[in-house]
Amino acid sequence: MPRKNPARERPQRRKTTHHHGEPADAFRCVGCRLDVPMIAPGTAHRNHCPHCLTSLHVDHRIPGDRRAGCRGRMAALSVTVRPDGEWLIIHHCQSCGELSANRIAGDDNALALLRIAMRPLSDSRLPVNALLAL
Amino acid sequence: MAANGKPRSIVNTETFPCVRCGLTVTATAPDGSRRNHCPSCLHSQHVLDRVEGGPSECRSRMIPISIAVLRTGDWMIIHRCTRCGELTSNPICGDDNQLILMRMAVRPLAQPPFPLEAFGDL
Repeated sequence: MPRKNPARERPQRRKTTHHHGEPADAFRCVGCRLDVPMIAPGTAHRNHCPHCLTSLHVDHRIPGDRRAGCRGRMAALSVTVRPDGEWLIIHHCQSCGELSANRIAGDDNALALLRIAMRPLSDSRLPVNALLAL
Repeated sequence: MAANGKPRSIVNTETFPCVRCGLTVTATAPDGSRRNHCPSCLHSQHVLDRVEGGPSECRSRMIPISIAVLRTGDWMIIHRCTRCGELTSNPICGDDNQLILMRMAVRPLAQPPFPLEAFGDL
């Protein structure tokens, strides 16, 4: 369902970390227990479940370094947009409170993404006065 | 005497200049908590290290990138450091610029990566 943005020319970051041995071809989501294949359309880093968007806290400072000792569950907290229009999910670690930003993949659950994006707007304490003042 | 037992005469008049717009901001918010971002442009400065703990040596500008809503309904601003890429979340203040808050809240919906028309049928 996600459509390709032809204006996007931003290359993916270089892979500076190397995994030893054979890379795994699937992982099980800690949130919904879905078996997720590592091959994702539109990205070389599958770092969250495409169904429930939950991630696992395994990386420390650099994506892919696998140096975090936490291994807590990271829930999707909010959605942000890069200047080129690409969406990022802000993940929040439930055990240590760390935040991380991850690109969405091509097969991510569009309904779950939209629910997170709509969360500020469905709030009753919305600053409507700011909009009415325009 | 104030309600917390401290004399009311001691008023915190500490201020700091915003690193982006240069506005002189009082360090204490109207609700008494300590301010960590400019209420006018919502930019912040990277002074606390989240991973290591304690003060950060980075001290560069942090731009607001998104709004997060907690389970309690409170809004948080997610800041990202322009130099080291660190992310922090801070609660919003009562006098924060509501236009910039709303602009950040609707920005994902203005540039959806999938057609939103399909959601009309749900």
